[in-house]
Amino acid sequence: MLEKITEIILRYVEVNREDIKPESRFMEDLGFTSYDFMSMLGEIEDELNVEVNQEEAANIRTVQEAVDYLERIS
Amino acid sequence: MNIVSSTIRDLLIVAEKEYNAQDAFRFKTKQVGADGKAETVIKSKSYTQLKNDSECFSKSLASLGEQEKHIAIIGSTSYAWVVAYFGIVNCGSVAVPLDAQLSAEELCELLNRADVTTLIYDENKSNVADMASSKCPQLKHFICLSKNSVLENTLYFEELIKQQEPGFECEIVPEKLATIMFTSGTTGKSKGVMLTHRNMAENATCLDMKFEPKTVLLSVLPIHHAYCLSMDILKGLYTGAIICINDSLMRVAQNIKLFKPNMILMVPLMIESMAKKLEDAAALPAHIVKENVFGSQFQTICSGGAYLNPAYIDLFKKYDINILQGYGMTECSPVISTNLLWENKTGSVGKIMPNCEAKTVDEELWIKGSSVMQGYYKMPQETADTLEDGWLKTGDLGYVDEDGFIFLTGRKKNLIITPNGENVSPEEIENKIGDNRLVQEILVRDSEGVIEAEIYPDYEYAEKKGITDILAELQKIIDEYNSNAPLYKRVFKLKLREVEFEKNTTKKIKRF
Repeated sequence: MLEKITEIILRYVEVNREDIKPESRFMEDLGFTSYDFMSMLGEIEDELNVEVNQEEAANIRTVQEAVDYLERIS
Repeated sequence: MNIVSSTIRDLLIVAEKEYNAQDAFRFKTKQVGADGKAETVIKSKSYTQLKNDSECFSKSLASLGEQEKHIAIIGSTSYAWVVAYFGIVNCGSVAVPLDAQLSAEELCELLNRADVTTLIYDENKSNVADMASSKCPQLKHFICLSKNSVLENTLYFEELIKQQEPGFECEIVPEKLATIMFTSGTTGKSKGVMLTHRNMAENATCLDMKFEPKTVLLSVLPIHHAYCLSMDILKGLYTGAIICINDSLMRVAQNIKLFKPNMILMVPLMIESMAKKLEDAAALPAHIVKENVFGSQFQTICSGGAYLNPAYIDLFKKYDINILQGYGMTECSPVISTNLLWENKTGSVGKIMPNCEAKTVDEELWIKGSSVMQGYYKMPQETADTLEDGWLKTGDLGYVDEDGFIFLTGRKKNLIITPNGENVSPEEIENKIGDNRLVQEILVRDSEGVIEAEIYPDYEYAEKKGITDILAELQKIIDEYNSNAPLYKRVFKLKLREVEFEKNTTKKIKRF
């Protein structure tokens, strides 16, 4: 899952693959805007065929939290 | 159509007469398919259905004794939300649209301050209704927009509508208060902007932007904002648009493919993100890039809410997409000026609306006209500070040129305008974080599009408490604040200060 999310993250922000760590925070460390973050969740929905709850997703801060959340709903 | 409606009721009547059976709204909904699985389908509602449903809701409110009352709506954009809005304002009541992202406590405070007697909410906000039932003594009725609510004594929107027949007569004068919309106040306390039928209807109808009937709009911005309510909904309906509802900010790209819009109202944050997508594929021919991102039918973006770098306008032109940059504020219902395809100037936020005039006083832009609000609800001091002889002091520095185009040069008021058009009061955040004992002084400001807090900690207190990693401790305080704040009010940058802030003569921190 981490690998899959890393792939998708790289489509949104200009960072090096090795800079994407489980503890990386989307906004503070990876430079996501709130809108890019939302768009990425939409893309994850399509690719993983899951349904993301927007309110729950708003509390995701780190890559690991995203992995945990997506594993839970998959 | 090129006439001006002066009430929201008249606007809907005129639109229904002209476009009756045409689709007014399209939206996604889930239903059980032939194979027993849930599937997503597109539903539509015509102009006539919208008018009829809103009249049924007006009747329901009248039968509940809720005419001439204040009625709040909390929820994301939906057909039911729009029906509720028209039902409220066209029976003589005042609609109070609230931001669904705020915490239940904050929403209850606003319900009390706005003297709301009926709360309409979608099922995601049942927790607010639950809290409001004990914290808001003025509330008499709870109406849920969807079918499920955990709260007892809830009325269901759909059932209320079904119980009534269309047809509702109620005289609405243009000066009647239609809406109270909350906007960030510079003192940290949000202010309820009072807008009449004339304010809103004339703002939406006085300028002919030459949108063709059946223009497909995708509505992506939050509907409790004046910009979306006025431009997407009121102006959209008035011009015979087909308004498609974007169900989530997560799914804009998917919904563009699904609904194939000709036009979208956006804030700069979204335009910047879309620009990245266009540029990522720039190696391909422009028409193919456009086809992939927006579809070939896409023509226009209206931009408002915050500053947009004019370079984006040129970039999108390459893809045959026009960005019409405008300017406004809730206090002006909200559009003050807009660029048009046939009338625009680079670097300007557009020509002033025909129902308004502008002047510059001490470098600040002042606006007068039929869009200007009546004042802030129950805030006479703030109203007096903002309105003078019918002129609205915008808080923006700027000027109008000889052709009526507005140019902005800076801001006078201390308000952070985020790239997604939200207005955030730094004082509100400073007060919340500053409550902590470790924070001696704090300054909150915009830093390259994100909110930054610079903190001068109480070093003595830290020593007394044995706190060695002060930065980590302050980050914890920020994290705690962020966990209760809506996304747009969160602090994403923290700066530690070793010396006190410079103060002005009144001992206030110098901001600039």
